[in-house]
Amino acid sequence: MSEAHSISPRTARLIGRVSAIILLLLALAYGLGGSVIEYAFASDPLGPRVFPIALAVVLGGLGILYFLSPGTAEGFPHGALLARVLAIPALLAISVLLFEPLGFAVSIFTLTLGTALIFGAPPVKALIGAVGHAVLWWFVFGYVLEVYLPAGTVFGG
Amino acid sequence: MTRMFTKTLTGAALMVLAMTAFAAAEPAKPECLAGAKPGGGFDLTCRLAANALLETKQISRPMAVTYMEGGVGAVAYNHVIGKRGKDGNLITAASSGSALLIAQGKFGQYDETAVRWLGAVGADYGVLVVAANSPYKTLGELVEAYKASPTEFPVAGGGAVGSQDWMKGTLLAKAAGQDAKKMRYVALEGGGAVLTALEGGHVKVGSGDAAEMVKHHVAGKVRILAVMAPERLPGELAGVPTAKEQGYDIDWPVWRGYYVGKDVSDEDYNWWVEALKKTTATPEFAKEREARGLFDFTLLGKEFEERVHTDVARFKILAKEAGM
Amino acid sequence: MSFDYLWQGFAVALTWQNLLIGFIGCFIGTLVGALPAIGPINGIALLMPIAYSMGLPAESTMILLAAVYCGAEYGGRISSILLNVPGDAGAVMTAMDGYPMAKQGRAGEALALSGISSFVGGLIGTIGLALFAPVLSGLAIGFGPAEYFVLMIFAFATLGSMVGSQPVKTLIGCVLGLMLATVGLDATSGAYRFTFAEPELGDGIEFVVLVIGLFSISEAMIILEHQGKGVTVIRELGRMTARWADLVRSTGATIRGSLIGFVIGVLPGTGASVSSAVSYTTEKRISDSEGTFGKGDVRGLASPEAANNATACGCFVPMLTLGVPGSGTTAVMLGALMLYNIQPGPMLLTERPEVVGGLVASLFVGNFILLALNLPLVNIFARVLTVPNWLLVPGILVLSVIGVYSTNASVFSIFLMLGIGFVGWLLRKAGFDMAPIILGFVLGRVMEVNLRNALAISGGDISILFGSTISIVLWIMAAGVAFLPLFLSRRAKRRMRAMTVADPALD
Repeated sequence: MSEAHSISPRTARLIGRVSAIILLLLALAYGLGGSVIEYAFASDPLGPRVFPIALAVVLGGLGILYFLSPGTAEGFPHGALLARVLAIPALLAISVLLFEPLGFAVSIFTLTLGTALIFGAPPVKALIGAVGHAVLWWFVFGYVLEVYLPAGTVFGG
Repeated sequence: MTRMFTKTLTGAALMVLAMTAFAAAEPAKPECLAGAKPGGGFDLTCRLAANALLETKQISRPMAVTYMEGGVGAVAYNHVIGKRGKDGNLITAASSGSALLIAQGKFGQYDETAVRWLGAVGADYGVLVVAANSPYKTLGELVEAYKASPTEFPVAGGGAVGSQDWMKGTLLAKAAGQDAKKMRYVALEGGGAVLTALEGGHVKVGSGDAAEMVKHHVAGKVRILAVMAPERLPGELAGVPTAKEQGYDIDWPVWRGYYVGKDVSDEDYNWWVEALKKTTATPEFAKEREARGLFDFTLLGKEFEERVHTDVARFKILAKEAGM
Repeated sequence: MSFDYLWQGFAVALTWQNLLIGFIGCFIGTLVGALPAIGPINGIALLMPIAYSMGLPAESTMILLAAVYCGAEYGGRISSILLNVPGDAGAVMTAMDGYPMAKQGRAGEALALSGISSFVGGLIGTIGLALFAPVLSGLAIGFGPAEYFVLMIFAFATLGSMVGSQPVKTLIGCVLGLMLATVGLDATSGAYRFTFAEPELGDGIEFVVLVIGLFSISEAMIILEHQGKGVTVIRELGRMTARWADLVRSTGATIRGSLIGFVIGVLPGTGASVSSAVSYTTEKRISDSEGTFGKGDVRGLASPEAANNATACGCFVPMLTLGVPGSGTTAVMLGALMLYNIQPGPMLLTERPEVVGGLVASLFVGNFILLALNLPLVNIFARVLTVPNWLLVPGILVLSVIGVYSTNASVFSIFLMLGIGFVGWLLRKAGFDMAPIILGFVLGRVMEVNLRNALAISGGDISILFGSTISIVLWIMAAGVAFLPLFLSRRAKRRMRAMTVADPALD
C-alpha cells in the first residue's frame, strides 16, 4: 500500500532529516530530564536515572544514523486533503471537550456527524448516520454492556 | 477510573428499602471511592463497607463503588480534597499505606490534615517469610544470618523503595543492627512475585502481608517466621509467633479504613462514624471482614484521626532513619 | 509434560458464556479481517478495553481477542479475492491466485476453498500450539530476575525479522516505546519519572491509551488519505462450494502451507505476511510445472491461506510459553494480560492454567465456528466490503473514545490518546511502523525492572546475567534468532519482488 504513496527521494530525505533532528532534540530533552530525576535513594545499583539516560544515548545514536541515511517516507498529503486529515484530531478534541459537560450522546453525535462530513458523505446521509451512531452506541454501551458513560452535567447527570 | 455499580445488590436493596425506616441524616447517594483499579486493596475496603452497611441495614440504598486509579490513591486523595470536599455522600478507602505515602510527601501538596479520617474497620499484618527449604527456622536465626553477611542477603518485597514491604524490610535490617540503606532490597510486583522469587531461591527472605501469605504457608511452599502484630493472629496463623515474642520490637499493622472531605458537616461525619460503629459490632460484619482476609481492628472517629496523625509522624521518623 | 491444562481449558472454553464470547469474537474478527481499512491489531486494540471494563475475567478476554485474531486471518481472504486488496497483512499472497479466480467468475469457489484451507491451517496450528505450550513450563521456576532480563534481550533480538527495509526506524520505534514505558512511578526506587507533576501520569501511560492512539486515531487519518483510490468489488460470486477435484488437488498445498505457517509462527518476530509469502513461493517451486500460478491456480490460493492461519496459532507459542510477543498483535494481547495484573512469562501455564488452556481450547472451538461462519455466511461478509468509510470511520473513533474512557473515566487520558495518535500519524508519514513502539513499551518495563532487580540481588555484579544455564541458552538463542529471520525475510522479500515484477496485479 505504501508504494501507492511513494514520493520523490528529495522530499523523503527532507522529511527524514527533519524527523531525525526532532528525535535528536527529544533524546537530548529526555536525557536531561532523566538525569535530574529526584529520588531519595535506590536499593539497586543502577537507580532510576541510568536506564533513561542509556535510552537517550541510544536514541541519539540512532537519530544520527537516521539523519545520515533517511530512507524512504510515505509523505504528507497536500492542500485540501491535508486540511481534512487534520480536521479529524481537531474534531475529536472538540467532541472530547463536550464529553463530560454535554454528555456522551451529544458528543458522539458531533463526532460522527463531523467525521462523516470530513469523509465526504452527503449531508443528509451523514446526519442520519450520526443519529444512528449516537443511538446505537448509547444503547450498546449504556444498556447492554453497562459501561459507565457520562450523561452530561448540564442535564444533571 | 471506572465507575461500576454494585448491581448485584439491587434486589436486596429493594427489599431493605421496603422494610427500613430512613435514618435522619442518611446520605442520599452513598458512594465509596477506591483509588485504584477494580480488584485491589482499596476496592476490597470499599466493598466491605458497601456490603456490610447494607447487610446490617445501616444504609437503605446500595452503596456505589467508584474507581479512580492513580499514584496508589494519590489521584483520589487530591480529587476528594479539590472537588468533593463537602460531599457527605462520599467515603474514600484508605490504608496505612496511604499514611506512609502522605508521610513521604507523595500525595502532592496535601498532608494528613486535609481530610477527615472516619475510621478503620480491619487490618492485615506484615509478615517475614522464607522458602520452605530455607535453613532459618526462627526470626532470631534470620536476624543472626543477616547480621553475619548483610551484603549477601537479598530481601524481596512486593513494592518499590518507600512502600510498606520495603519499610518492613528496613525494620529487619534495623533489628540486625545494619544500615537499611545498604539492604539489598529487590522490588517485585506484588506478593505473588515474592513467592516465586523465594521458591526459585533468588532471594533469601521476603516481606509481605499475612492474609496473602497464609495460604502458601499452609500449603508448605513458604514458612512465615514472624507476624508483625501485637498478639498472635487467630486461625491458621495461631502457631506462628509474633516478632515481639521472639524479642524484636517489630510491629506493622496494615489497617484499612475510610476518610471524607475536609468540609463535610459534623452531622454527616458523625452519621458515618455511628453507622460504622453499629455495623462493626455485628457478627455479619465479622464474617464479611474475615472473608476479605482482615483481622479485627476497629478504630473510629476521633481515635482514628489521632491514630492516623501519630502513624504519619512515626512513618516520617522511620523513613528518615531508613535514609529516605 | 501434562495436558491437564488443556482439559481444564476445554471446561473453560465450553461454558455457554465463553462459547458466546468466542462466537462474537470470530464474527467481529472475520469482519475486521474482511475490511481492508482495519486489521486484527485495530480490532483487538478497540475490543480490549471494552472487554476489560465490562468486567470479563481474564480468560474470557483472551478468548475474545484470540477469536478476533484468528477470525481476521480468515476474513482477510475475502477482500483479497473480491477486491484484490488484502484485508490484512497475511492475506497479501491470497490475492495472487484468488483474484484471478474471481475474475474468471469463480469467486464463490475461491472463497469456499480458501475457507477450507484456512480451517485446516488453523486446526493444524492449534494442535501444534497445544503440544508446544506445556514444553517449557517445567523451566519456569528457574526464572529469576536475571533470566527474565536475558529473556527480554532475546525478545528484542527477535525484532531482527521485523526490521524490514529500514532497520534504523524499527529500532527508533522500539526505543520510543521503551521511553514511553519509563513514564510514571519507578517500580524499584519509587521515584516519579517524566510525570511533569501530573498525578494522572503517576501510574504511567495506560497501555490502552497508547495502543488505541497508535492504531485507531492515526489509522482513521490514514484511511482518509487513502480514500478515493478506486477499487471495484466483484459481485458475481458464481458457484458457492468448492469442487471436489480442486480440494483433492490442493490438499498437499494446504498441508505444506499449514506446517510452514506454524513453524514460522513459532519463531518470534515473524508474522503472517512472512509465512504466507514463504509458503506461496515454496508451493510455486514444488508444484507449478505448468506455469498456472498467479492465473487462478487453486494450490496458489490454498497454500498461503492455510499458512497465515497456522501462523496466527503458532504466534501464541512464544507468547504463552515465554511471554515474548512475536508480533504487534500478540504484543497487544500481552498488554491485555498485564491489564489484569497477570505477568506473562514461563510461569503463566502453572499459575494461570485456565487462561492458557482456555485460550488453546477456544482456538479448537473457534476454528469450527469460523468454518461455519465463513462457508455459508460468506455472502454477508462480502457485502460488508461495500460499507462506506464515512459510516465506518466514525464507528472506529467512537469505539476509541469509549474504550479509553471506560478504563480510565478521565478526559485527560482521551486527550493523551489523541496526542499519541497524532504523533503516531506523523511517524507513519515519516515511514515508521507502529508495532515496534508497542513491543518496546510492553517489554521495556519488564526489562528495566528485572535488570535492576538482578543487580540488586547480586550487589552490582553483572556476572549474574550469565550465571545460569537458562540465561546462557537464552543468550545463544538471542544471538541466533537475531540473524536467522533477517535472512528468511530477506529471501522472502527477494522472491516477492521477483514475482511482483512478473505479476503487476498485486499493485
